[in-house]
Amino acid sequence: MSNTDIDIQIDVDDPTAPEEDSPAITSNRAVDVAVSLLLLALSVLLGYDNWRTGAAWDATGPEPGYFPFYLSVILGAASLYGLIAAFLSRKEARETFVTRAQARRVMAVFVPTLLFCIAMQYLGLYVASFFLIAGFMRLVGKIAWWKSLLTAFIFSAAMFVTFDLVFDVIMPKGPLEAAFGY
Amino acid sequence: MEAFGLLLHGFAVLLTWKTLLLMMVGLVLGVFVGVLPGLGGPNGVAILLPLTFTMDPTSAIVMLSCIYWGALFGGAITSILFNIPGEAWSVATTFDGYPMAQQGRAAEALTAAFTSSFIGSLVAVLLITFLAPWISSFALRFGPPEFFAVYLLTFCSFVGLGREDKHKTVISMSLGLLLAGIGMDTVSGQLRMTFGSTDLLRGINFLVAVIGLFGISEILLTMEERLALHGHAASISLRTVLSVWKDLPKYWMTLLRSSVIGCWLGITPGGAIAASFMGYNLAKRFAKDQESFGKGRIEGVFAPETAAHASGTSALLPMLALGIPGSGTAAILLGGLMVWGLNPGPLLFVEHKDFVWGLIASMYLGNVVGLVLVLTTVPIFASILRVPFAAVAPMIVVSCAIGAYAIQNAMFDVWLMLGFGVVGYVFKKIKIPLAPFTLALVLGSRAEDAFRQSMIISGGDMKVFWSNGLVGTITTLAILLLFWPVIDRVVGGLRLRNSAAKVEA
Amino acid sequence: MKPLRKIVTIAALSAALFAAAPAWAGWEPTKPVEIVVAAGAGGASDQMARMMQAAIQKNNLMKAPVVVSLKGGASGAEALMYMKSSEGDPNKVLIAYSLIYMLPLSAKLPFDWHELTPVSVIALDQFVLWDNVAGPKSVKEFIAAAKASGSPFKMGGTGSKREDHVLTMFVELKTGAKFAYLPYKSGGEAATQLVGGHTESNVNNPSENLEVWRAGQVRPLCVFDKERISYTAKVTETQSWHDIPTCKEEGLDVQYLMLRAMFLPGKVTAEQQAFYVDLFQKLIQTPEYKDYMEKQALKPVFLTGKDMLQFLEDDGALNKQLMTEAGFVAK
Repeated sequence: MSNTDIDIQIDVDDPTAPEEDSPAITSNRAVDVAVSLLLLALSVLLGYDNWRTGAAWDATGPEPGYFPFYLSVILGAASLYGLIAAFLSRKEARETFVTRAQARRVMAVFVPTLLFCIAMQYLGLYVASFFLIAGFMRLVGKIAWWKSLLTAFIFSAAMFVTFDLVFDVIMPKGPLEAAFGY
Repeated sequence: MEAFGLLLHGFAVLLTWKTLLLMMVGLVLGVFVGVLPGLGGPNGVAILLPLTFTMDPTSAIVMLSCIYWGALFGGAITSILFNIPGEAWSVATTFDGYPMAQQGRAAEALTAAFTSSFIGSLVAVLLITFLAPWISSFALRFGPPEFFAVYLLTFCSFVGLGREDKHKTVISMSLGLLLAGIGMDTVSGQLRMTFGSTDLLRGINFLVAVIGLFGISEILLTMEERLALHGHAASISLRTVLSVWKDLPKYWMTLLRSSVIGCWLGITPGGAIAASFMGYNLAKRFAKDQESFGKGRIEGVFAPETAAHASGTSALLPMLALGIPGSGTAAILLGGLMVWGLNPGPLLFVEHKDFVWGLIASMYLGNVVGLVLVLTTVPIFASILRVPFAAVAPMIVVSCAIGAYAIQNAMFDVWLMLGFGVVGYVFKKIKIPLAPFTLALVLGSRAEDAFRQSMIISGGDMKVFWSNGLVGTITTLAILLLFWPVIDRVVGGLRLRNSAAKVEA
Repeated sequence: MKPLRKIVTIAALSAALFAAAPAWAGWEPTKPVEIVVAAGAGGASDQMARMMQAAIQKNNLMKAPVVVSLKGGASGAEALMYMKSSEGDPNKVLIAYSLIYMLPLSAKLPFDWHELTPVSVIALDQFVLWDNVAGPKSVKEFIAAAKASGSPFKMGGTGSKREDHVLTMFVELKTGAKFAYLPYKSGGEAATQLVGGHTESNVNNPSENLEVWRAGQVRPLCVFDKERISYTAKVTETQSWHDIPTCKEEGLDVQYLMLRAMFLPGKVTAEQQAFYVDLFQKLIQTPEYKDYMEKQALKPVFLTGKDMLQFLEDDGALNKQLMTEAGFVAK
């Protein structure tokens, strides 16, 4: 592929950052094992709850817990199989789940999203989204402050007009909206 | 002929300025969400669904289905230009579409994709137009055992035909079925798996899960992949379009085959994903030089796109006539129908003629308008990707949060969405398929209700699933599909032996 | 929608200025008012909420906009818990029906209607025994056929251990015929299944079977009330609601009516309660409301204050008794 026919190119991270030799954090096998264990735990929990609800087959067919109980058993068995298969698989052990550089990038979007969800409860959706967009553009995307703030403001305001004013969809709101009487 | 008259009536319903405007808005929005990584057909429709709650049903469905057509067209753009399938069923399009773009034949590939989408949808719409009245009377024959048999068929087709590790498909499906059971059990009126939580009382909403599983997790994956999206010059000149169209008759067999596969899989709720892969695989199998597939062959674009769109469109038929969604997006539209107070089912065609025929007419118009729109505006849409991803990513996150919250006005759902985002990311990386999970979440509790209603009818006798020709055929087909890999191997073995015997003779 | 609301606001403002209506001088909502529906989209409660929304906006009964909130999760339990957790919030009104008595009993839901603020009873809903047009033509023939049938007759209904189920139990008790009760998600589904011949009968509300009755696919056998439905305008080509005999006339002595009432969350002020009492008082005089009552064959009843409380206590006790006799109370 020659460079001349590239019309559009998007890079968020610093493209000069080292990539290829970033060390692996975990292998697919380790994650597979962890997920299997979690699913196994979930199946035990749900299995127990459904057994308590009633998992027998009475005169009018199965009781409410019947299907979920046996599904828990199936899920448990499949997770157990997955657990063993993951332990035995050499191929998966060699596959990298994430490298350190990848994990950092994933966290760079996951952590702001998490903060955004927390902020949404206290500041309301629109203020939180303003902070998310402005902060993300500036800190992760290294875009000029004024551009980030302006974009964030226009987007949040557009959302507010669309949802709250035009479509009467009630979104969580915080102190700022309350100050304006919404 | 009756269908023809009704269709004309449908066009009459549509041809108002307001509806046409909504149609254009829907198409543009659709192409927009289709081009944006992290959104796509079901997500776009899911996020925008609550917006249409206040519209009248006909306007709402016209707008939503146009968003859907637009998203399908848009998904092809990213698949071909950037090797990012917007939808699971666009995956097969990337096999030959992206190599074509790399060879500087992007325009050709895009024209091929749009044209074959158009043909696939058109065949399916024709089918709907002329079979819908028949299907709706046929649909009245569906009682609880028949419904259960159809659900069983769908589940079995996934287990039997999936390409992933079997135990991972089982994990995905049983997890989906379990989560679908949370909340109130319709048949006994009892609560289960709620652990006393008020938030779990209403169960896990399918849309919330989908927004997390696909929207949020796609953002995480895109970030991980370093966002170095290399695009290719995308301009379509009239000459390229015409030269591709001139060659179309050469590929009539591929187009026909894919359309048939698509319609069949769309109507028997099997899914467009299976259709697109099956279309691609069969085109490859019947080709003289199989080696050239995957290296930029135009048939490799025609085949999966035609099949995906034929099935995506025909999937709307079982949804309207039976209330059974044939695809993820159809499931979301089904949710929408109920919100507007329309009970999808046999009587929808009788009681809401305006709505049904308006929708069908909008499929014709939407496709024609959509084709012209995408062919002329590709360069503009591709330029969305010039917007830094650092600006697009948080906007997608906000859109997802709005979508998740608006469905039930619950903050809990936003957290659920975030949780499903992580689940989707991890599952995709360790190759647990998400399609069976979403399918199970949509159909799980209905399948269970149908089964238990059948048991009440029969007094606990399983023979009810073979009590008449209709239900017996579907149930048997389901079981055949479940054991398809085994049967395939046995039949394949026999055939091999036969041909070997022939050679010897 | 924005300009529309502005016009409404201006109209309401000027009305308030010039008429200086003293009734709402105390308090009135400034934020959008949510009508909370304890059922799925398209059900009877949802349709009623949409009618109220339209009637309030068209007749300028209130300045603040009205939105409909569907909280039909867990057979309506979601709405009850939502109201319970909204204590002190005067911008939410629930359209309640018998589920406020039944759900706490059958599903052990930690809810008691005394925790909410009653506003008014606005209507009573009827139940009708329906069968397929191909089936028996009268209650007597129907019961005889049910008794003679080898396998029990299938009766469709909405939900389990709820109004429809209770009614089925009492029909069984009174006649000695056996029914297999099939719980569906909605009355609409129960109607479709009756048309398709997958069930022999259902006990839907008039509104739920209206369309298929008009299409000539089902037949009303009798109405579960002391007196016939009052509406005499023709609904089908030959029949009006009034033409349906009561079950008692036909020798099946079972009566059941379902309330439709409005509630505010708990701990709201007396002025706030008074505002809504007044609002619904005005609402029931609008043409939209009257039209709706006739179309859905609802029994017009309006109760507030002490009358309403007395009615709720009696109705609650009756429902509890029925649920206990039917064996639907969870241990």
